[in-house]
Amino acid sequence: MATLSINSLGKVYPGGVTAVSDVNVDIADGEFIVLVGPSGCGKSTILRMIAGLEGITSGDLQIDDRRVNDLEPGERDIAMVFQNYALYPHMSVRGNMEYGLKNEGLPKAQIAERIAEAARTLRLEEFLDRKPANLSGGQRQRVAMGRAIVRDPKVFLFDEPLSNLDAKLRTQLRAELKALHKRLGATFVYVTHDQVEAMSLADRIIIMSNGKVEQIGTPMDLYLRPASRFVADFIGSPSMNVLDGTVSSDRRSLQLNGSHQIDFGAELPAAAGNQIAIGIRPEHLHQNTAGETRIELSVGFIEQLGADTVVHGTLAGSQSPLAVRLNGVQARDSGDSIALSCGRDQIHLFDGTTGQRLNWDNQ
Amino acid sequence: MVENRPFLTFLTHAVLIIGVLFLCFPVWMALVASTHGPEALSSSPIPLWFGDRAWENYSQLLVGGLPEAGGVPIGSMMFNSLIMALVITFGKIAISIISAYAIVYFQFPFRMGFFWMIFITLMLPVEVRILPTFDVVVKMGMLNTYAGLTVPLIASATATFLFRQFFLTIPDELVEAARIDRAGPLRFFWDILLPLSRTNIAALFIILFIYGWNQYLWPLLITTDESLYTVVMGIQRMVNSGESLPVWHYIMGTAVLAMIPPVIVVVAMQKLFVKGLVESEK
Repeated sequence: MATLSINSLGKVYPGGVTAVSDVNVDIADGEFIVLVGPSGCGKSTILRMIAGLEGITSGDLQIDDRRVNDLEPGERDIAMVFQNYALYPHMSVRGNMEYGLKNEGLPKAQIAERIAEAARTLRLEEFLDRKPANLSGGQRQRVAMGRAIVRDPKVFLFDEPLSNLDAKLRTQLRAELKALHKRLGATFVYVTHDQVEAMSLADRIIIMSNGKVEQIGTPMDLYLRPASRFVADFIGSPSMNVLDGTVSSDRRSLQLNGSHQIDFGAELPAAAGNQIAIGIRPEHLHQNTAGETRIELSVGFIEQLGADTVVHGTLAGSQSPLAVRLNGVQARDSGDSIALSCGRDQIHLFDGTTGQRLNWDNQ
Repeated sequence: MVENRPFLTFLTHAVLIIGVLFLCFPVWMALVASTHGPEALSSSPIPLWFGDRAWENYSQLLVGGLPEAGGVPIGSMMFNSLIMALVITFGKIAISIISAYAIVYFQFPFRMGFFWMIFITLMLPVEVRILPTFDVVVKMGMLNTYAGLTVPLIASATATFLFRQFFLTIPDELVEAARIDRAGPLRFFWDILLPLSRTNIAALFIILFIYGWNQYLWPLLITTDESLYTVVMGIQRMVNSGESLPVWHYIMGTAVLAMIPPVIVVVAMQKLFVKGLVESEK
């Protein structure tokens, strides 16, 4: 259990490729941090730098106020769970779990005690003498977690641990992970590309793209106040509708690409003639005209999910894609048009060129 | 193949049986010949069934010593061969697994250069470098020693290459997990790499043991002292025993004896050997 502080961390590979630049974050004791982003965004590189498997090019990394930049992975008091489990194939489950402890030189009695406890926690008692080859994927991943738990590390690192499992098992292990975090009260750093995993597990999410941090915040921060168009697009499923438009001369309405004009009734935070984008989540559009902002959807295809129906299509009279999530089972034909509206407080604005969030007085 | 055609079944079996007979006949002849007296084999037709001198012939060979082979008992030649084969085998495996470990897992200047240097020696057969090697051995005073017999044959590019290829298939995460588990380089090698290489080592052991056992040219060059003769050399000397008739019954007996250790090694390790050739346990 420990704090982790990352100061202007950077990684440049020999050959000049910058994988990560200028990451700053302070992780509190017992916090569950999820690093999320598309593949190649540098999230795994950060995790591997924390683990010590990857050298740090610039910046500082501190665990419990001790600078660990130059320590070997084994000396940092961390444990890591890998995507492909990385269990030693020739050792039994017990052997896998006790290997690190043996190397540390812990007394035998203590090792046995820790393994018994971890096995109980993870329901692995009956598998202790099996080889990894004779376990299912979910069991292997639990062994990998057991190997981390027995070491009683300051920080737990997870590198996409659930990616190799099927959807059902993933949901189940996700819940187990959350419970495990609660019981251990330890600091977790978790890498995933799956935003659902990130939203459901994290105390705070670090969302990254192209080696840079886009936003750090609680899941609800990211959902309600995305700092950029990238975050808005990445968090939420189906993703947020983002429509480009031009600010009108009186700065009170937006001319969308196509025929739509949206009146805001308040001054927009951008100069007349500027390109900006508005973002509306599919679940915030409603099939009525009660909201201040109205748009029309031309139906393309629908996804019936049972509890609700996602209608994909385009903004009427344009090519801009638009989706809406409607409650319950809804039947619509391709080509139909649906009148939709949403509250002004649920509209996000983004700068047309930088993609940064524009704050405005919409509440 | 799951075809069920009686004629094809018959044909395949016939081909296999002929092949087996073809392979086994010389061995059978050697076995039979070693149980007869010298006259039986110089006259026609040669016998196809066991004679009555098996006990005499073999006891003479193993302990008595033959004037035709320099008067040394085959037992001591077998011992020399065994020492040579085992030292070469263990030496080759040890050196090549260590050098492959260095080449795959450590960063050092000219790493690939070293790898290619080792690799290129694959192209040079023993016969090509035999004179310079002989020269070195002479200058180091290793003529007529076990060291001279074995050390120059220990370096092995093939085995190094095989271990390197195997190490490259071991996932990086395993190495990383071991680093996090505080295993230093030696411990990783001993606790993880070596057990994982078990089947590869067994396969190489068989191949290299037979290679070492069958060495002929090199021992011929390096030994003049009869107490260091190997069994393969012994056979050759008996065949070329000057003006007298070749002692075929003894020669065949020696050949049979010389076949035994490689057979034992193959039989004892064949399970691991096959595993090592086909398996990818990941």
